[in-house]
Amino acid sequence: MEKTLVKSRKKRFSNLSLALIALPGVLYLIINNYIPMFGVFLAFKKYSLKKGIFGSDWAGFDNFKFLFKTKDAFIMTRNTVLYNVAFIIIGTIVAIAVAVMMCELGDKKRVKGFQALLLLPNLLSWVVIGFIVYAFLNADSGYLNNTVLRTLGINPVSWYATTGPWPAILIIVFLWKNMGYQSIVYMASISGIDKSIYEAAAIDGASKMKQIFKITLPLLKPTVITLVLMSIGRIFYSDFGLFYQVPQNSGALFSVTQTIDTYVYRGLMELNDVGMSAAAGLYQSFVGFVLVLIANFTVRKIDPDNALF
Amino acid sequence: MTESKAFNRVSTVILTILVVLAMLPIVLIVVASFTAETTLIRDGYRFMPKELSLDAYYYMLKQGKIILRSYGVSFLVTFGGTAVSVLLTTMLAYPMARKAFKYRNLLAFFVFFTMLFNGGIVPSYIMWTRFFHIKDTIWALMIPNYLVSAFNVILVKNYFQNSIPDSLIEAAQLDGASEFQIFVKVMLPLAVPTVATISLFTGIAYWNDWTNGLYYVNNEKFYSIQQLLMKIMSNIQALRSNSNASLLGTGAVDLPSTSVRMAMAVIGILPIVIIYPFVQKYLVKGVIVGAVKG
Amino acid sequence: MRNVKRFLSLILTVAMTLGMVACGAADTTSSNSDASSADSTKEAAAESSTPGSYDQVTYAYCTFNNIPTEEDLDVVEEAINEITREKIGAEITLMPIQIFEYSSKINLALQGGEKIDIFESLGDFGSYVSSDMCYDITDLIDTYAPGAKEIVGDSWLDACKSNGVLYGIPTMKPIALTPMLIYRQDIADELGIDISKVNSIEDVTEVLRAVKAGKPDMIPLAAVQTGEIGLSTNYGEVDFLNDDRYKPIGVLVGDDLTVTDLYGTDHFRDLCKLVRGWYNDGLVMQDAATTNSAAAETMSSGNYFGYLAAYSYPEEDTAASLEAQVAGYDLGAKIIGDAYLSTSDINAITFMVASTTDVPEAALKFLDLTYTDEDIINLLIYGIEGRDYVKNADGSVSYPEGQDAATVPYTAQLSCGTLGNFFKMYQMGVANDASLEWELEQNKSAKTSPAMGFTFDSSNVKTQYTAVLNVISQYLPGLICGSLDPDTEIDKFIQALNDAGYQDILNEKQTQLDAWKAGK
Repeated sequence: MEKTLVKSRKKRFSNLSLALIALPGVLYLIINNYIPMFGVFLAFKKYSLKKGIFGSDWAGFDNFKFLFKTKDAFIMTRNTVLYNVAFIIIGTIVAIAVAVMMCELGDKKRVKGFQALLLLPNLLSWVVIGFIVYAFLNADSGYLNNTVLRTLGINPVSWYATTGPWPAILIIVFLWKNMGYQSIVYMASISGIDKSIYEAAAIDGASKMKQIFKITLPLLKPTVITLVLMSIGRIFYSDFGLFYQVPQNSGALFSVTQTIDTYVYRGLMELNDVGMSAAAGLYQSFVGFVLVLIANFTVRKIDPDNALF
Repeated sequence: MTESKAFNRVSTVILTILVVLAMLPIVLIVVASFTAETTLIRDGYRFMPKELSLDAYYYMLKQGKIILRSYGVSFLVTFGGTAVSVLLTTMLAYPMARKAFKYRNLLAFFVFFTMLFNGGIVPSYIMWTRFFHIKDTIWALMIPNYLVSAFNVILVKNYFQNSIPDSLIEAAQLDGASEFQIFVKVMLPLAVPTVATISLFTGIAYWNDWTNGLYYVNNEKFYSIQQLLMKIMSNIQALRSNSNASLLGTGAVDLPSTSVRMAMAVIGILPIVIIYPFVQKYLVKGVIVGAVKG
Repeated sequence: MRNVKRFLSLILTVAMTLGMVACGAADTTSSNSDASSADSTKEAAAESSTPGSYDQVTYAYCTFNNIPTEEDLDVVEEAINEITREKIGAEITLMPIQIFEYSSKINLALQGGEKIDIFESLGDFGSYVSSDMCYDITDLIDTYAPGAKEIVGDSWLDACKSNGVLYGIPTMKPIALTPMLIYRQDIADELGIDISKVNSIEDVTEVLRAVKAGKPDMIPLAAVQTGEIGLSTNYGEVDFLNDDRYKPIGVLVGDDLTVTDLYGTDHFRDLCKLVRGWYNDGLVMQDAATTNSAAAETMSSGNYFGYLAAYSYPEEDTAASLEAQVAGYDLGAKIIGDAYLSTSDINAITFMVASTTDVPEAALKFLDLTYTDEDIINLLIYGIEGRDYVKNADGSVSYPEGQDAATVPYTAQLSCGTLGNFFKMYQMGVANDASLEWELEQNKSAKTSPAMGFTFDSSNVKTQYTAVLNVISQYLPGLICGSLDPDTEIDKFIQALNDAGYQDILNEKQTQLDAWKAGK
């Protein structure tokens, strides 16, 4: 009897001190994220500076209409979701492959060098990357047309007017920029794996490949699930720079490059409407939120330890 | 053993190819920044340009003092911000990872929610400028937005949960360690790989950021390198499109805008390239070494 | 991310408006405006009878130069205050903001409740008005800014009205954009091309052909900017009714007050066909629709003969000043059309009083000085005489010995023409009164749209706007750069526009235009 009482007091105390440890971070999120969230009201308002966010007239769902009342609604939603799915799947596979190979290299210096070099593209802005891609693809003096295709004896392609290759181009550019960055998370996870497991497996005569597939990959599962769940939350968002700067805003490519973000940008550039851009953001977030709740619920059913919350 | 060697060799080859592919465009940028503007426009970007020129760097050199100062600001913000951020992030992640913590799921949801919804810039702006008065101070570059990222918190939580056995915590508890002591003495040292990872992510985010400057800094004293580069570029662009009669004879002739843009990309990443090996050294126990077996 | 977008759009706006900015004017306005400002001075002095308690006015303006340090700025501020304390009983706080962040900073600061009393519209007149950011100065202007009113004139002020309410004062500067062909004089001479015969965009074809024949390696025509080889400035007498000239949605053609679909007109089709012909014959840059180099950059490669653009100065001045930007090639400029003024040309840079101000009267009085008071204008632009600039014998100014724009403590020289009255500024370098007269004359003589003063409020058709703008950015650059075939694509374009609700916007425009006309 006494023992359980002590235990429960201890537990309460433990809860309290754990909460205290989290407190600074929680306070920051309240100040930086939660209080400013009242801005989402703008999505339902006809904004006027004089009246302020709360005083402005209600607009109901008027600000949202522009996202649906267009023939492009399907195309942009499809593009956004499909690209994100592709990025999640291909990006994860490539990042894990890179991480596994890095960890098997053994030579510290080389790993360091490789890792640093693979990270570099992530430091470049999309504007600069747009220029680089343009250097490769432009019709008059581009690298592909002038050097590669000419050597192969293939007729030059007008890349910025040909939709076919763009899904591939965008995925390659995405991988190029993010491969190094994303693999770091997996490298950290792999390095957290208890080395003795591998040693035991090696003694049992498990081959390298077997070790990877039977030990490394299964142990990476929680990390993969976490990262994928987080990506699902942002599935209606797209990296604006990738879809706007990289295709050089070329109209001929809209059917494969238009995403929700680029549509909103192109549409609101002139109007500059606070309410409508808030509405677009809220819509994107809300869909992501619902999808995450569903996904997380599913994960929780199957594998409670790996659910996000 | 030979099988492992073969695997090693294949990995090396593949990674080398990937690294070369990743580097090619970067090399192109560097070469372009040394290419004469006229050549750049006539022939496009070439790995072997017909005519080299230092014009872009001369142009940047004129702003040398300001660039150095901005480097200083960026370094200060990057290191200071990252240090505080790592502390806050791990402290927030630790309770979430403790199965004993009653509110762990609530807390995880609370953190994750910030990843999805935001109220836009105006409310944040009012918050930080009116109540915290950070406008035109160095804090403006450090504090808003980047101190706690939900993504990082969840990464760390995930690591704590999966890579650090509960038995360690229980053992420490039996020794009478307080929660805070467990966090500092047991968890943090074991979490080095993930701490290294989020430091890197946060550091890159701080280094690349220019939005905080855009919103909260008007005094050029506190311009970060990214904000400065942005300013130089937009001014060149403005001059270029401005057929300004009065520019005649004032020396603002022949602005090498395309090569300057490339030079700016180089200037933006150069310090990282230089200091990265040192940072790596300080993170010896971090990702890399932790990850390399044998 | 959103601010990256704002920034990009700003750059575009600036690229456009800057075409109209030029500096270095001497005082050519007559002295009658001085008299009126003297009147308001007296009034003002009488009002501020208690010394020491001056109205505080914050003047937020955009600069293309470096932001001066606080100490250096204080000196200029103090020099301005010495004048304003006495003349209008107010003290001014200067707030220079870099051009690339100007709009986002002003928006944030106003919404964040910071003290800004005067700001400029930089192409966003409509959106500032629709979000209630500007003060109604209809009744105040006569009392507090009579000088500015007189200098700018009623017809220009009309351009800053919305629903009959006056929201700002446009800057006084050479504003009329005249379409020109900018070309390589040396090449034209070498090939014996007679440019004087080129008087319209159709005439340009012959020139381009001659260049192609004489210099097969050269590309005759460059893009003036991404997606634009110069058609937009050659539509003729077209009022874009508040839309960007690069994205027209429902326009007025000539003197007819009927809102017209530009894309359905034969004129538009002919222009597209003309360009398509150039494109097919290899007379223009092939990837004009997506290029990321502006004309000045492209031209400096030496590989291009010329481009089509619109400028607000005389032919010789335009050519001379552009030469500096194209690696010193010998340039010529030939006017190929007439300037045409409509509302948005004028309100592109408008100075507005913030709706949140607590001192609207003082703000207007100071604004008035920026149009009438030579000392104030030049302090704003050039800073302190002796420290930041020196006067030359001919009345023009230069930087002090061994200094330049980047090293003097204060200068906003590159903002000249956006601040107050361009025609009262000192000239930099060499004084050229003839050019000024030409510019003033162009301002006066340019043909004016019948809808001058009409501003369109898009709030009822916002949804359609977003869809239509997307359709336009999909088709228009390709059509006006020749990479799309007008015979098939224009019809598709119009069909897509109609699907996006184009007609609703046209109808709304017509309704508002009719109401505006009836109320006149």
